[in-house]
Amino acid sequence: MTRLEALLSAGLFLGVGLALGCAGTERPSTAGLPPTPWASRALPEAQGEIKTSPDGRKMQVRYRGWTTEDFGQFRTYAYDDPRPAPAVSRLSMPQVKGDPREGRKLFLSRAKGPCTGCHLIPGDDVWPAGNVGPDLSTFGDRNLPDDYVFTQVYDSRNFFPHTTMPPWGTTGALKPEEIVHIVAYLQTLKGPLSPEKDPNRNPDTRAKPVGFGDNLDPTNNPGIVLAEGAMSLWNKRGPAGKACGDCHAGGPAKAMKGVATRYPNYVKAFQRVMSIEDFLTVHAPGTTGLPMLAESDENLSTTMLIKMQSNGMPVQVDLVSPEARAAFERGRASFWKRVGQRDHACADCHTKGAGRGADKFLGGRLLADVDAGLTKHFPLWRTSVGAVWDMRKRMQWCMTPLGMNMLPADAVEYAELELFLTSFDNGKPMSVPGIRH
Amino acid sequence: MAEIGQVRIRIPSSIKRGDVVRVRSLVIHPMEIVQRDKAGKPVDKNYRFINRMIVTYNGREILQADTTQSISENPFFSFAFKPSEAGTLKITFLDTHGGKYEGTADIKFS
Repeated sequence: MTRLEALLSAGLFLGVGLALGCAGTERPSTAGLPPTPWASRALPEAQGEIKTSPDGRKMQVRYRGWTTEDFGQFRTYAYDDPRPAPAVSRLSMPQVKGDPREGRKLFLSRAKGPCTGCHLIPGDDVWPAGNVGPDLSTFGDRNLPDDYVFTQVYDSRNFFPHTTMPPWGTTGALKPEEIVHIVAYLQTLKGPLSPEKDPNRNPDTRAKPVGFGDNLDPTNNPGIVLAEGAMSLWNKRGPAGKACGDCHAGGPAKAMKGVATRYPNYVKAFQRVMSIEDFLTVHAPGTTGLPMLAESDENLSTTMLIKMQSNGMPVQVDLVSPEARAAFERGRASFWKRVGQRDHACADCHTKGAGRGADKFLGGRLLADVDAGLTKHFPLWRTSVGAVWDMRKRMQWCMTPLGMNMLPADAVEYAELELFLTSFDNGKPMSVPGIRH
Repeated sequence: MAEIGQVRIRIPSSIKRGDVVRVRSLVIHPMEIVQRDKAGKPVDKNYRFINRMIVTYNGREILQADTTQSISENPFFSFAFKPSEAGTLKITFLDTHGGKYEGTADIKFS
C-alpha cells in the first residue's frame, strides 16, 4: 500500500465513522404524527380507559368477557411511553424443597404460563402443547444444575440476551417458590419416552389446520351478510341531511372500487395514518352527522362493505411519501418492541427463526407468519367467538394475555403498526371478510 | 342486516353429468324466537319465522321440509341431489306471516 492509498483509506474510514456517528444521534422522524394527541372515537370498552375502584384498585375497561386487570406497570406501544424493557435480574434459588407434583401443575396452569403453550412434556393430559420453545420431554437427562435451570426460568436473558422466553421471575409472573417447584418437576423428566399414542399430541407431528372453506361464500361466512347489511347505512340520511350515497355516486360497487387497497394511508385532512375504520370514525359524523365509533357494529360492517369492493385487487399501500415512510419506520419499531409483563414483541411469534413462533404451534394455535401477510382478509369472521373482528381488536386481544394494557382501538400507534403489517401484503389480492378460528 | 327474504344459493362451480350436487342455501330472515313473560311462560302469539322450505327442479318438487320452530337467524339449509338433466333449481321459503321468498340457481353440465 502506498502512502497515498493509506491516507485515502484512512480518510474513507473517518468519513464512514462520521456518517455513523451522525445517524446514531439523529432523532426519529416525527413526520406523519398528528400535531395534537388523538382523541379516541371508539366504543367505551374499546378505549382502554383506566378506572380506579372504590377500594383503590386500578382496572382497565375492556370488552365483555376480557380480563380487567391493570398492567400499568409494564410498558406498551404508546409513543409517549419511554420506559425501557425490564432490567435483567437474577436471584439465588430460595432454600425451599421443590415439589415435582406441584411443579407439573404450575407447568400446565393456564392462569400462569402455561409453559405448555411453547414446550412439550410427557402425559396424555398435556393438551394442546406448542413447539415454539424446545421439547422438554427428556430435560432431566441433561443433568443441568438446579441453580442454572432456576435462573433460566427466572430470567432467561441472563444466558441468552435475545431469547423470546419471558422473564417469568423478573416481571413477577411466577413467584420464586413456584419456579423452584417447576425446576424440581423438570429434573424428573427422564427418557426413554413411551411411544406416542396420538400424533396430534406432539406439535411437531400434529396436522396443520385447514381453515374454514371459501370466505367469500355467503352461505359459509356470516360476515358477508353483515357487510351487505351495511347497505342500509350507506343509504341512511343523517342529521346533516346526507347519506354516504349522496356524495359517493353509483353505490359502493362503483364509488368504493379499489379504495381500500390504499389503506392504511396518511390522510392529510386529519394529519395521521388511518385505516378505513379510523377514517369512518371522523368522516361519517363530519358528513352525514351519524356517529360511527371504532369497534361499533356500524363501523365494522361499513368497513367490510367498503373493503369488499376491492376484493381480488392487489393491496398497494403508500410507503414512499415522507409521512408514510416515517410511519412505517415507527410501525416497524413497534413490531420489534418488547412490551408487557411477558416482555414479548410481535416479532417473537410472527417471524421465522430459531426460538421464534411463525408457522409453529402456540398451544393449539398455529402462529401466522408476517411474511405471508396478516391484513388482507381483515375484518374477518371469528368462528371461535361468532363475531366480526377487525385488525385493531385482534391487536388488542393479542397483547392482553401477555400482560399489556391495550391502547384505544383507533390509536395512531396501532394504525402505524397496521401500516407496517400491510406492507407485507402489498401486491397480494384482498379478500374481505376473511374467516378464521 | 341485509335485505329480508334474500335467498342465497351456492352450487359447485363445475358439475359433471351423474354427479351428486351439494346445494347450500341461506335466507336472510330475523326468525323471531319465543318470548317468555315474567313467570317464564311462553307468550302466545303468531311468531314470525320460516316454517317451510320447498325445492323444485325444472318445476318438479324434489324436497319439502317443515320446521316446527325458529331455527336460527338467517337460517342455513344444505342438501344433496342428483340432477339427470340441466335445469333450474328453485328454493322457496315460507314464513308464518305469509312471507314467500324465492331464489333460483341454474345447473349446467360441464
